[in-house]
Amino acid sequence: MAAPIGRIVLPGDTFSFEQLQPPDEHKKILLGPGLREEKAEIKVLRPGILRFRKPAVYWIDCHHKRYIPAKGDSVIGIVNQKVGDIFRVDIGSSEQASLSYLSFEGSTKRNRPDVKVGDIVYSKLLVANKDMEPEIVCIDSYGRSSGMGVIRNGGFLFHTSLNLARKLLNPQCTLLKCLGNRFQFEISVGVNGRVWVKAGNDVQTIALVNSVIVSEFKDNDQIKEMCKRISKAVVRMEID
Amino acid sequence: MAAPMMVCIPGKKICRAGDKYVPGAGTFLRNGFIHSSLVGVVKESTDEKNVKTISVVGKENNSIIPYIDAIVIARVTNVNPRFCKCEILSVGKHNLQDAYRGMIRKEDVRALERDRIEMHKCFRPGDIIAARVMSLGDAQSYLLTTAENELGVVSALSESGVPMVPVTWCKMQCPKTLTEEFRKVAKVQPEFIKFSHS
Repeated sequence: MAAPIGRIVLPGDTFSFEQLQPPDEHKKILLGPGLREEKAEIKVLRPGILRFRKPAVYWIDCHHKRYIPAKGDSVIGIVNQKVGDIFRVDIGSSEQASLSYLSFEGSTKRNRPDVKVGDIVYSKLLVANKDMEPEIVCIDSYGRSSGMGVIRNGGFLFHTSLNLARKLLNPQCTLLKCLGNRFQFEISVGVNGRVWVKAGNDVQTIALVNSVIVSEFKDNDQIKEMCKRISKAVVRMEID
Repeated sequence: MAAPMMVCIPGKKICRAGDKYVPGAGTFLRNGFIHSSLVGVVKESTDEKNVKTISVVGKENNSIIPYIDAIVIARVTNVNPRFCKCEILSVGKHNLQDAYRGMIRKEDVRALERDRIEMHKCFRPGDIIAARVMSLGDAQSYLLTTAENELGVVSALSESGVPMVPVTWCKMQCPKTLTEEFRKVAKVQPEFIKFSHS
């Protein structure tokens, strides 16, 4: 009996190695997120759809909003507190991340960066494990900022599920292509489900925010329809 | 000498101090009198010069507290980028009944390259470490150090819950999954290791 690929599985379901054996006789199986080997069987840890990719990769597609920090992720955080030399930044995980004031481009002990409580920062995770608080930096290994740092000049920050954030980060994202054809805007997406949008004026910004949130469960054709309707509505509102 | 046993509580006056009576362990001197500082029984021991040492003996395990330069075994409870907190389980060969708290600062983990230490690569919560008491610390915890070859992580569990085997002074390997994890490993002398034959 083959594994139920493309079907919903629940935590606690188990599979044996023979069930997961891929059709073209590969000996090694790669278990992705949501699956774990325990003694002689494979257990499901998250509710979702079982997916398979050649040559022999299995994983569970799960819908979640709670971010679990992983090293190397690019996230958007909100500065909450300044304690001595470090900022406490909320990135949506169970613990607040720490950001040292020296982790900005061109900042030294004398030349402090211009970061205040309440600022939004786009940063990368340096240290992330289950035993310690996460640490983020706004600088890469060469000392350059490469696009990271404080996000200034207005805009709108909102929170989505992690699946939608990953969809937006896909290079072939239909939504961003359609919206880009009709509006001029800036968008910044963090893997922790935080999205920042800024357009020409407030009406357009709110329209873009709504279209991103609503597009989560639409397929590509519905998204194209929706973009057409939204751009017509915005034009009408701006005339009034 | 069938003197009746004198039971005392902290603060009780035992006798007047003088040339013949000297305060010992579990007692203190105040206003010329020897007082008891523990709950227990008074014991006298006589020197060759006929000087009696008065001491109070309480429960067997009461008298062991971590002292400076003692080697202690502790379990790591909390890891922070600046320091790690641990629970002291035993002092030397004696097990403690109540765990005392210890703290290892970032600078006291290693002797070399003390400023470029990453705490999550040295200790993890749950590790058993051998450390030396550096000072009595503050009201919260003793100050410990592992800045010697023989001090550091003695026993640790890997991500899969299996005890790991030391590879180098900074790495341990899990025998089940063969992944290596970073720790500040203690170089325990072979005569102190008791191998379990299973």
